[in-house]
Amino acid sequence: MIFREAEDRDLIAKARKGDVEAYNLLVSRWEKRVFNYLLRLVSNREDALDVSQEVFLKAYQSLPKLDDPQRFGAWLFRIAHNEGFSLLRRRRPEGEMPLERGTPVRGSELLPVELSVAVERALGRLTEDQREAVLLKVYQGFKFEEMAEILSCPVSTVKSRLYTALDLLKTALAPSIGAPAILRGES
Amino acid sequence: MSCEKFDWKAYALGELTANERREAEAHSSTCEGCRGELAHMRLTIDTLSALREEEVPRRIAFVSDKVFEPRWWQTFMRPSFAAACVIAAAILAHGFMMRPAADSAEIQARVDQAVNKAVAEVEQRNEDAVNRVDRRVVSLYTTTTGIKYQ
Repeated sequence: MIFREAEDRDLIAKARKGDVEAYNLLVSRWEKRVFNYLLRLVSNREDALDVSQEVFLKAYQSLPKLDDPQRFGAWLFRIAHNEGFSLLRRRRPEGEMPLERGTPVRGSELLPVELSVAVERALGRLTEDQREAVLLKVYQGFKFEEMAEILSCPVSTVKSRLYTALDLLKTALAPSIGAPAILRGES
Repeated sequence: MSCEKFDWKAYALGELTANERREAEAHSSTCEGCRGELAHMRLTIDTLSALREEEVPRRIAFVSDKVFEPRWWQTFMRPSFAAACVIAAAILAHGFMMRPAADSAEIQARVDQAVNKAVAEVEQRNEDAVNRVDRRVVSLYTTTTGIKYQ
């Protein structure tokens, strides 16, 4: 992680001087993470790809404004968050709550693919804010402070969204992972 | 039922300090409720990692028309241009070294012809390559910005 940050820092310095190849390298280091985050957030492959493209273009244009190159990851995901939610807002009429998707998954001892589908469905049942908190923490490994920076909200809000999401996921996934009754909170 | 004093979610997510971790671990070794809570949280987080990460369907293209314009010196640094120079130099050197003791106008003309032909071929290849790159850049620009390149 430290090496990654050091290399990112070099690439950012070169990109700021107009080295396009350095920026292309930076894109190739981050595109998979950004794409997967957006894919889970907007739930559409083409949209996720288009938004990813937009994110990297905006990041390039705003690179001179990046104060601390060491925080490039959080800064990039802040742009991705803004672009992702901008798309979600355009998609639905104002004030309308996002729909819950998916159906509860039953059964245990699932194959990896089935488990992946179960997780996808469980994530789909969360609100966008809750899902995003899980994506940033569990899949992208950001610290609470970094998440607060990305989401422009206090750490307490980040924790509240994440903890609620984890409680919901715990319940939703319990049948899929064959958690014993005691772990599911059943007496 | 776990004890409220301990934040097992923060523990499982790696957000506790070393001291907090030690304190929590000491407690969980004596509290069945907290052990159960932590085990279930870890199981949930492990299960979430079953979600497959997807490959990016196609390379994220980054293009900026201004920065893609080669600088004047980059034109001379292109491999095709450099190759043309090397070939031309090699032909000239060959012609110079292999010439008979007595120069004849006919040999010189053949050398010139060979040089011109080689240079023309390389220049044509160079132009084709530049055109291919230009077409690619225009295509990426259009894809990226949605604006037709003028």
